Amino acid sequence: MIEHQNISSYIAACQDFIRRHAATSNSESSEDEFDFLARSLFRLQFTGLLTYRRFCEARGSTPDSVGSWRQIPALPVAAFKEFEVTTIAPTDRVAVFHSSGTTAQTPSRHFHNAESLALYEASLLSPFKTAVLGDVDELVATERVRPLDKLGFLILTPPPAQVPNSSLAHMFDTVRREFEANDSVFTGKLDPNGAWEIDIDATLFALRGSMCTNRPIVILGTAFSFVHLLDYFESNNIRYRLAEGSLVMETGGYKGRSRALPRQELHALITRHLGVPPSNIVCEYGMSELSSQAYDSVVTPVAGARPGSSNDEGVRRVFHFPPWVKCRIISAETGEPVADGETGIIQVFDLANAQSVMAIQTEDLAIQRGDGFELIGRTALAEPRGCSLMAR
Amino acid sequence: MNIPNYFLSDLPPEASLTPLMLTEACDTLKRNRARYLLPRSTDELIRTLDALGRQWLVPAYPWRKLALERAPEQLHFTRQTLERGLDSFFRELTGEKLESFVVSELGHRHRLDDLVMTGNEGRERRSGIARGPELLLHITAGNVPNPTLMSMVLGILARSAQFVKCAFGSALLPSLFAHSIYEADPKLGTCIELAEWPGGKADLEDAVIAEADTVTVTGSDETINTLRKRIPSDRRCLAYGNRVSFGYITREAMSGFGVSRVVEDAAADVIAWNQLGCLSPHLFYVELGGRTTPDEFASQLATELDRREQSEPRGPVPTHVSASIASRRSFYEVRAAHSPETRLWTSANSTAWTVVQETDPTFLLSCLHRFVHVKAVDNVDHALRAAEIVRGKVSTVGIAAAEDKAHQLAVTFARWGGTRICPLGRMQKPPLTWRHDGRPALADLITWTDWEQ
Repeated sequence: MIEHQNISSYIAACQDFIRRHAATSNSESSEDEFDFLARSLFRLQFTGLLTYRRFCEARGSTPDSVGSWRQIPALPVAAFKEFEVTTIAPTDRVAVFHSSGTTAQTPSRHFHNAESLALYEASLLSPFKTAVLGDVDELVATERVRPLDKLGFLILTPPPAQVPNSSLAHMFDTVRREFEANDSVFTGKLDPNGAWEIDIDATLFALRGSMCTNRPIVILGTAFSFVHLLDYFESNNIRYRLAEGSLVMETGGYKGRSRALPRQELHALITRHLGVPPSNIVCEYGMSELSSQAYDSVVTPVAGARPGSSNDEGVRRVFHFPPWVKCRIISAETGEPVADGETGIIQVFDLANAQSVMAIQTEDLAIQRGDGFELIGRTALAEPRGCSLMAR
Repeated sequence: MNIPNYFLSDLPPEASLTPLMLTEACDTLKRNRARYLLPRSTDELIRTLDALGRQWLVPAYPWRKLALERAPEQLHFTRQTLERGLDSFFRELTGEKLESFVVSELGHRHRLDDLVMTGNEGRERRSGIARGPELLLHITAGNVPNPTLMSMVLGILARSAQFVKCAFGSALLPSLFAHSIYEADPKLGTCIELAEWPGGKADLEDAVIAEADTVTVTGSDETINTLRKRIPSDRRCLAYGNRVSFGYITREAMSGFGVSRVVEDAAADVIAWNQLGCLSPHLFYVELGGRTTPDEFASQLATELDRREQSEPRGPVPTHVSASIASRRSFYEVRAAHSPETRLWTSANSTAWTVVQETDPTFLLSCLHRFVHVKAVDNVDHALRAAEIVRGKVSTVGIAAAEDKAHQLAVTFARWGGTRICPLGRMQKPPLTWRHDGRPALADLITWTDWEQ
């Protein structure tokens, strides 16, 4: 194999890799091909991105010294706040996605041009279909949905036009477009301070519509938007039973936008108020700095747990990335990969991150579970006692 | 060694406390106080505490041994760190120092025993007697043990029955100290109760608050605000909120032969209690213009922290702590790769210590556990402008300066709002008599009765 000399040739190869591996799980993917693409991309990014090059050089790593993707230095996400981590010239940028978080801080920025956006969209579609819509074919087979019917999406974020810097809204709009769910609706909106909230009336209208026609619905949203919705249900004592086959995808932390709930508690509330069973609830792990997402595709019973216990205790939600992404859980103490069952910081190597940096060190903690991970959440970088680390 | 079940904190973890149990415990405490503690004299109590202080300094003292055995696992302090911390506390607990403490706070060592007059009172023919609270409730923070031990000493001097509510998981040392009191003087021991539960259990807290006439609260501003609302307005509430501390090093201190001593002192302040107390430095301001530059100081501090790590290791920390240190290091690593204005020194293959040097003087809070900032400043005014964001929240300023300049610096820091100025190297070793957050700790507990003849 010959290394890619420019980013367009790399992107074409990456698109091809994604096409070929769209239906496979990560463990089946070709390690050699991943490694080759990762090192090719590292060379391009090392050469084309001074911010990243300086960081690598300070660590003593260069494309010639790196023998495997595992040795590629992972850039801390904090760099996306301080620098423009992109190889895209300002005039070519068509979109920029910001990290969510408190407005007092500079957000992370992930710049896109048409080419990188196309790669981002290619990367997100098939894992979404597998993880979230996986059962649709079965619904068709069991005649609960007619073959030409599309599921309606109820999306709890504001529409992309209102939040052009949200990668999540863009992703939801992409899956809505791709899976032709024409009666889909965004029911999120911005409050006067620019914070996200949901239009309760529009949300209830969509849910009722789905129940009246007995047609399954797909609800997509952030964890905090679900909390807002469920709090409303709770205080008004509303319990819906959505059509069988309805699906829920929730993502993201809370970042102070609602009270924070343990994941199992959130799912129990979703089941109680919407009638969607835990098996139809999927979590997504993604961030604006990446182009690919992980889903908790597997629910593993924990040995010794009581089966079927009401609050979902004894199940483990394990996340996996698609084959064009590798992740490592590294010890916060030593920086070395942790053993199975141990906790560490998530590093992500995303081949679809062509025009920023492929290798990223997040600020999230997870437990290594086989070739996947169990998400713990954000590290306590949260500045103690209200003073900003970023204060300058 | 088995610990007897004298206190609620000795109950097995599965035992759950109820408000009724706590109310009854408070009743018992008050009865015991009336019988056993109120009749004691200050001299007698000081003798007991003095003997206790001596014992705790003896390596073979069973309670000390037990503390050193159990603390590394339960409190995340290594044996060495703990030894140093306990020694610095118990060395202060002497009869002489306790006596001068009572005198400096109340004007006379027998103020708590009888109506006495001092100085000007004589001219007015007025005498006064000091009374402590009947039941003193301490709601303590869990970061370092010494403030809780000191609170217990104050309660004894004030002849108060005491209920010590420890932050969850931090009862070990207060409990061992209470047991040592019980062993030395069982009747005195029955005037103390300890318990621990996770904060926010309002029914338990309210049960004790209802019985206490004075409450001390140590913790975050949020904890204090929540608790204050629940304490009836006729009870006294002494709140010790979060405070931060820093070091200030003059160019003269960076020029003479004493530089290595300054570096050692700075490291000692970072290492003490793994930097977790309010008196521990988040950063060191270093004046530009000395023979040793702030950059060189930071480098030497890193070397010293590394050396001290061998003899006095920080020890393991919970994963979320190491992750938070790792994330901060990453942030500075990126900066350092791009600009000579940021430099970073870290322990190899661990998060044991971190030094971040920046030319930007803005005050930054450290994530602690031996993670310290070094910042260059032109002079003290420059430093104080940069520290404006923590003004009013500063406890201790540790200074390294020649004597003639130190006085002027102390006045400057005092006027700015710092409540304690001490030499570098002693930041975590306040004397027994120190005024906690600028307040007289014993006098604040007291209610006076004046007799005008």
